[in-house]
Amino acid sequence: MSTERENILIRLQKIDRRWIYLVLWLVVMFPLIFPFKIKPKPTPPVEQLFNYIDTMPENKALAISVDFTPDTRAELQPMVVALLRHAFAIRRRVGILAISVYGLGLGEEAIQQVTGEFNAHARTHEDSVIYGEDYVFWGWTTPILTVMLGMGERITNVFPVDYYGNRTESLPIMKEIKNYDDIGILITVAASAIPRSWINYAQVQFGVNLSCGITAVSAADFYPYVNSGQFIGMLAGMKGAAEYEQLVRQRMEKNGMEWALRNRGTEAMSSQTAAHLAIMAFIVLGNIAYFATRRKRK
Amino acid sequence: MNLSTDPWVWIAAILTLAIFSFLYKENPFYRIAEHLYVGIANGYAITFYWHRILVPSLFDRVGAAATPVSTKIYLIAIAIIGALYFTRFIPRISWLVRIPIAIVLGYASGASIPRAIDAEIIRQLKATIITRASFASWQAGLWAVIILLGVIATISYFFFSTERRGALKPLSYAGIIFIMIGFGASFGYTVMARISLFIGRLQFLLGDWLGLIK
Repeated sequence: MSTERENILIRLQKIDRRWIYLVLWLVVMFPLIFPFKIKPKPTPPVEQLFNYIDTMPENKALAISVDFTPDTRAELQPMVVALLRHAFAIRRRVGILAISVYGLGLGEEAIQQVTGEFNAHARTHEDSVIYGEDYVFWGWTTPILTVMLGMGERITNVFPVDYYGNRTESLPIMKEIKNYDDIGILITVAASAIPRSWINYAQVQFGVNLSCGITAVSAADFYPYVNSGQFIGMLAGMKGAAEYEQLVRQRMEKNGMEWALRNRGTEAMSSQTAAHLAIMAFIVLGNIAYFATRRKRK
Repeated sequence: MNLSTDPWVWIAAILTLAIFSFLYKENPFYRIAEHLYVGIANGYAITFYWHRILVPSLFDRVGAAATPVSTKIYLIAIAIIGALYFTRFIPRISWLVRIPIAIVLGYASGASIPRAIDAEIIRQLKATIITRASFASWQAGLWAVIILLGVIATISYFFFSTERRGALKPLSYAGIIFIMIGFGASFGYTVMARISLFIGRLQFLLGDWLGLIK
């Protein structure tokens, strides 16, 4: 090996990490400004969840538990938005709660966005998405054990007052959603081990159907629960959100809702791909440099 | 470029850049943003606990004339036990903190252990059992066999009660391979997660703040 090449390889191993940050910054930024088209192909766990919700009996509601905090908003918020769009597109009732107090604002943000989209296109009262009839935001309470076990008995006992301060007993939707028996599936969108608690308490005790939307970093931990059937499908990270967005977009188009809505997960996929390629290149380069100089040292 | 005129967007953008400045090196802007985040997050949570839990569940009920005296005594007793958490700040009586901790631990363990055994062990074990239904398609059958082998090999790697000889030796080595594949998958997902968070912030900076993307 020539000395010049050897020097490059040694320098490569000692490169200041800030150069790597700069390259990543550029690699992520450019595809956001000049995106190239990527259409995520739904994976089996995403399809499984979509098909389950899509064919859920009309009298069953969809419950979404916003169990994440603002730091993971980029990955998980697109999931909540896509799930809400799906439920409203097929006219299923929705109940939303938050296990984390920081999830309240995120839940509210997603509700405002999606109900705004649907109501902006509504022509009749029936087309509209109405609070207290089509959806309810139960809000937050603590401790989680009380919430998960209590909702199996009577939801209005756990959340006597909703997020907006209304008595839940007074909402028409709560006559249809009394406890887990009226919930077709509960989806926990989380950045922690909370989905495991939902299994341990709500599913073991009451047999409620569960699924989860989780950050990519936790995905490997939750695949066993999909394999065992404890979760009906799963959305893993921003890619999972993007896949679900595609399925929902197709469903909405089929239902005549061609609204050209923003899909934040899908929009991020070109940056995600570019960043992954860059990181793979870094790993390969780093390994080449390491092994080449190690052989020399020996 | 279509710069935002919303002052809150500007505040969020400046704080985001202050946090990112740590990537260059430690600096006072990063420290300010970090402390602000911790303070605001705690303040937000405390406010909610006060207004959504303590006021309606304790103060309102204890203050209401309609609440029976026995319920009031019960609520006050529970509140006093809960307040014992604060004795941590008084060294002389800090041992009292063990009382609420013991109650919470006892309750949570009692509620969790039987359910966790069911959900985490029995149902997971069931999922590894191969039946005729596992071979609904040849791919499903193949994955079922791989999962079974992976579980046995990985468990055998953590079996330390005997020397790794005979069949246990190759099995535990196979366990290492499965564990490494698991670590690889976790690392790949971790990269995706971190990049996703960065994308989210850049979407905000380039879109909501600078108006460079729609």
